[in-house]
Amino acid sequence: MNEPTQDFRDTWLVIPCYNEGTVIQDVIENARRTFPNIVAVNDGSPDDSAARIHAGGAHLVNHPVNLGQGAGIQTGVEYARQQPGARYFVTFDADGQHQVKDVVRMVERLRTEPLDIIVGTRFGRPRAADDQVPWIKRLVLKTVVMLSPTTRRLGLSDAHNGLRAFNRKVADEMNIRMNGMSHASEIVSLIDRKGWRVAEEPVDILYTEYSMSKGQSLINGVNILADGMLSRRL
Amino acid sequence: MIATIVQILLLLATVALAFYFLTNRRKARAKAGVKLGFVLFIVAAIWAVLRPDDLTVLANWIGVDRGTDLLLYVLVIAFMFTTMSTWIRFREQELRYARLARAVALQSPVLPDETMPRIDAAGAPKQDPAAS
Repeated sequence: MNEPTQDFRDTWLVIPCYNEGTVIQDVIENARRTFPNIVAVNDGSPDDSAARIHAGGAHLVNHPVNLGQGAGIQTGVEYARQQPGARYFVTFDADGQHQVKDVVRMVERLRTEPLDIIVGTRFGRPRAADDQVPWIKRLVLKTVVMLSPTTRRLGLSDAHNGLRAFNRKVADEMNIRMNGMSHASEIVSLIDRKGWRVAEEPVDILYTEYSMSKGQSLINGVNILADGMLSRRL
Repeated sequence: MIATIVQILLLLATVALAFYFLTNRRKARAKAGVKLGFVLFIVAAIWAVLRPDDLTVLANWIGVDRGTDLLLYVLVIAFMFTTMSTWIRFREQELRYARLARAVALQSPVLPDETMPRIDAAGAPKQDPAAS
């Protein structure tokens, strides 16, 4: 493995992981060529995810029980923000659908522009010929955005993109209370409430057969909407 | 007035419920308002069992034909309320549980250069008895 570059020693990748034993080691090894600091939160997986994470060379935090992706991200952020020298934080999916080159661009933007958080978007540029977002998913994601006034106001086009980069201020204030898949909407409302300076960065998502089979089901959109209403009164 | 069997059964059940509520130590710490409300509820229940026709009178006042119909409507509302409060309470519980699990998880991270602790079936590292 190549020696990690010096540039990203202040950056921590947070990878929540549940039953990703088949791919997680590759994902971590690949990311570690650029980002030396990775914390993977094994969310009580019954498979060999924990051993794979360790073999991949990431810091491993084990949830004693399964809590959900949102809880995993929160745990990872809390771990990473305790680490000396941590200035930038990135949430990254375990299934390999996010790309390191996108993260590099996002962290560079955080360094140079007056921004607190950058959210990846699948819809940032004119639709490319090799666009891999399936049309039904595109429709659902756009509907979710339309139904959320906050998302529209902030000018976000893809609030449910799991790839986000943010700075120390955001990491310190991050407090995800929705354990399951609704954390994306929760982060959007945090951005709004805490007044974090937000921007989007177009990213490419690799829809492999594997990630498609694991991805959020479309029905889950209903759960996300219900949780969004609930989170206002929790 | 001669009590029917069902009235006796309903009254016994109500009294048992009241007794359980007022003697249960954990519940007894509930808010005073809840307790008063419950006592009122018990009184109303006993009244409705003993004089079902009064319920019909009440129902007629608010435009419902029969007392049993009114009872059903109130029950549906009460059920919805209970469902909602249970859901919210579960979510609060879940959040506390997540914070507890997170605190446990953050106490024992495995650094890249450490050796991997043994893994049990659930994927959580086993505590080494010698180490603790």
